Amino acid sequence: MDSPTFLRMSGVRKRYGGVTALDGADFEADSGTVHAVLGPNGSGKSTLLKVLTGVVGPDAGQVRLDGAPLRPRGPRDTLTAGISSVYQELSLVEDFTVLDNLVLGVEPSRFGLRDRRAALARSLPWLERFAPAFGGRVPVRERVSDLDPGERQVVEVCKALVRDPRVLVLDEATASLRRGQVEVLFEVVDELRARGVLILFITHRLAEIYAVCDRATVMRNGTDVATVAVAGTPEAELLELMSGRPSAAPSGTRGPGTPAVETPTEGPATAPDATAAKDQDTDPATSPRLEVRDLTGDRLHGVSLKVRAGEVLGLGGLQGQGQSELMAALFGAARRTGGTVLLDGTPVRARSPKQAVRAGFCYVPGNRGTQGLALGRPILENLALPSVGRRAFLGVGLSRRREVAAARAVAERVNTRYGSLNDPVSTLSGGNQQKIVVGKWFPTEPAVVLMDDPAKGIDVGAKAEMFDVVAELAASGAAVIVGSSDDRELVEVCDRVLVMFEGRVVDEVSGDRLTEDTLIASAMHVTGADVAAAREGHTSELPDPEPRHAEEGGA
Amino acid sequence: MNLLRGTGTQDLPGPVRSVMSVHMPALAVGLLLLVTVTASAILQPGFFSPYGLSASFATFLPLATIAAAQTIIVLGGGIDLSIGTIVTLSSAVSVVLMQGDDARLPLALAAGLATGAACGLFNGLVVAVLRLQPIVATFATSSVFGGLALLVLPSPGGQVSPILTGTYRMVLAMYVPIPAVLLVVLFLSWRMMRGTRYGQHLYAVGGNAEAAYTSAVPVSRVRVLSYTLGGMVASLAGVALLADAGAGDPTLGTELTLGSIAALVIGGTRLRGGSGGVGGALVGAVVLSLIQGLVFFAGVPTNAREFVYGCVIIAAIALAGLLTAREGSASGASGGRR
Repeated sequence: MDSPTFLRMSGVRKRYGGVTALDGADFEADSGTVHAVLGPNGSGKSTLLKVLTGVVGPDAGQVRLDGAPLRPRGPRDTLTAGISSVYQELSLVEDFTVLDNLVLGVEPSRFGLRDRRAALARSLPWLERFAPAFGGRVPVRERVSDLDPGERQVVEVCKALVRDPRVLVLDEATASLRRGQVEVLFEVVDELRARGVLILFITHRLAEIYAVCDRATVMRNGTDVATVAVAGTPEAELLELMSGRPSAAPSGTRGPGTPAVETPTEGPATAPDATAAKDQDTDPATSPRLEVRDLTGDRLHGVSLKVRAGEVLGLGGLQGQGQSELMAALFGAARRTGGTVLLDGTPVRARSPKQAVRAGFCYVPGNRGTQGLALGRPILENLALPSVGRRAFLGVGLSRRREVAAARAVAERVNTRYGSLNDPVSTLSGGNQQKIVVGKWFPTEPAVVLMDDPAKGIDVGAKAEMFDVVAELAASGAAVIVGSSDDRELVEVCDRVLVMFEGRVVDEVSGDRLTEDTLIASAMHVTGADVAAAREGHTSELPDPEPRHAEEGGA
Repeated sequence: MNLLRGTGTQDLPGPVRSVMSVHMPALAVGLLLLVTVTASAILQPGFFSPYGLSASFATFLPLATIAAAQTIIVLGGGIDLSIGTIVTLSSAVSVVLMQGDDARLPLALAAGLATGAACGLFNGLVVAVLRLQPIVATFATSSVFGGLALLVLPSPGGQVSPILTGTYRMVLAMYVPIPAVLLVVLFLSWRMMRGTRYGQHLYAVGGNAEAAYTSAVPVSRVRVLSYTLGGMVASLAGVALLADAGAGDPTLGTELTLGSIAALVIGGTRLRGGSGGVGGALVGAVVLSLIQGLVFFAGVPTNAREFVYGCVIIAAIALAGLLTAREGSASGASGGRR
């Protein structure tokens, strides 16, 4: 080998508890290229790049950069080695000015004091280069907290560039950018490539990969599957590599981006045809239990859907495309800015979870420790909590016997194994805990069950049992909505899956088409038109307040 | 969450908003200073006489110094409930070594400073390396330091060197008491430190530790150093107390700690870190001392003094909070994800 590969990662392994995020992944990339890293949720692509930037320490494996071994103990070491990353979760100090953020950690100083002039000299060229992305201004002295999310992301990019990197990692860096900002970024990426910088690019927009990337490495199940030249690889082949099997459901039958959805998915501009919808609903057999029309809110741009009683509807797509926000909005935990929610044909406008529960909604969060359970309290109390008001005598008096009977009935119904109802919930296994989170809603006889990644981090057997509980809830007449980052789970549990992208429903998958492959393809298969359309109404939202980036560390 | 953003300042252009949010706390504490000084001048006979000024600044300086120490720690995202007992321990060490002898003064001062730094370092290691909750950890170390102080100096007493007390009561050019000069020196040293890379890193760690870490700021080192510096500055407050009182007292402790926190909050420092500054805390400490004096001179009955003092402090903190709350909630809303 006359010219050794610029960046080589070999045999990288990383486990988070019981979950293998990286299983001996190899990765190579040359300087002066733009290299995409692709893969479905949980394929390990983010973890791989976090190992490179030193944020995550690998269990095994080696990294060599420009022939020299790299053993980072933290971001300090990788920055010295010339690796800069633009983080998905922003790494800016909000109280600082843009300038102070750009040079944070690398402040030039003279005689022990910070040298503002030198800092400006280093930062200003980049800010001026990105001026079009800031609407023509150069916000040196503005505080980051006064910038909008897109502008903050641009500051983040500038911050990485000020460090003069040899390797630049762009991890979903375009997600919150407007079209004009993306254009400037891509121009700069071209310039950097010409200067011999290696740019590693993670995005969920396939169109962008074809726009800037030279090569692409596809990850699946914690290993690298293939590295291909982007120019010579058709989209279908990339999707095939990602899903691992030749895609049985030919994406050609469906015009890309034209959703085969029965429910209306028009944008906020076109109001749904209310009269037509009413005509459909007159037949009680097919009328939906829950109907959502054109719901808008934080990260939601006109979501419409219908769920019948006894139906399990899945919310799929890439992580953080508005699935959690949709459920939070339905449960009254997040503000709605528009749209209608109809429960059995009656409009519901829940402003708080309490009102939502009264209307017949219940919510099963993925994070049971912080949102679903009072871990230190007895099983009895946790089971009784949502329904306690219904059994109380005159609204206040509680009979312990009735509480115990009710709790025992639920525990039996969800098949929880427990020692005593007085034991704290924390003594149960994760799966049994989650069954309590679901089961506690039984006595309230919910009409709509919202589940946000309910099987996160529980083992396979417990998962199956928990989904039995879900099926039972559905059988009792509830409309169930399940959001999950695990496509297999959706295929197994759901009757129908809506694929979401940037706050909209872009596809509906049901019947024979409901396979893992279709879901992956549908989630990734977003054309430029879709991106543009999605971006229209998507100009100034805050980034996902809780980015669900811990895809590999789901356990 | 952007619906929570301020209602009034939202329409202003970014730079104007930035300037306003930076200077709001300064305006608030400045206003409080003006009110308390005016009230003192009216109620307190001879407030502006050379003797009155000297006496006032002699009481300001210890609280101001300890507030400065606490501010350094709070800015970095920590808090130190042991800071009062660091003051007592280091002053006890100093006074025991001093034995009223001027020749031993340098040794005693150095030992006091070293004691303060060591206590701070210990706190810093416990908090940043063992990762214990700062409130709980420093509450525990507060008993340790307080207990040590009692071992070193079992009862109030000891002889302070005459040079120290004499210098402390000197008044330059008729109207400039030495403690006032020291207050200015303290502020200038802080401005100096604020200008270094460390000063910047302190704010970054307090503002967003995760962002600081990914930006290659040595977060743990910054934290440990903030506690150590805080301990050192606290020991200076111990020296000021010795000079003012002429003797040591091993029982001061908690009162000083809570005073330091109240002073920095009045001075506009955010308790969760990353925003504020020592300048505000110094003025806040002066305001707090003045209020204490005012309650006395306003003729409040002895038994009601504590009550009135407390109520006035609440009002002062509320005023400082109200004037800065709008910006605080805006950055709190967008920064709330951490």
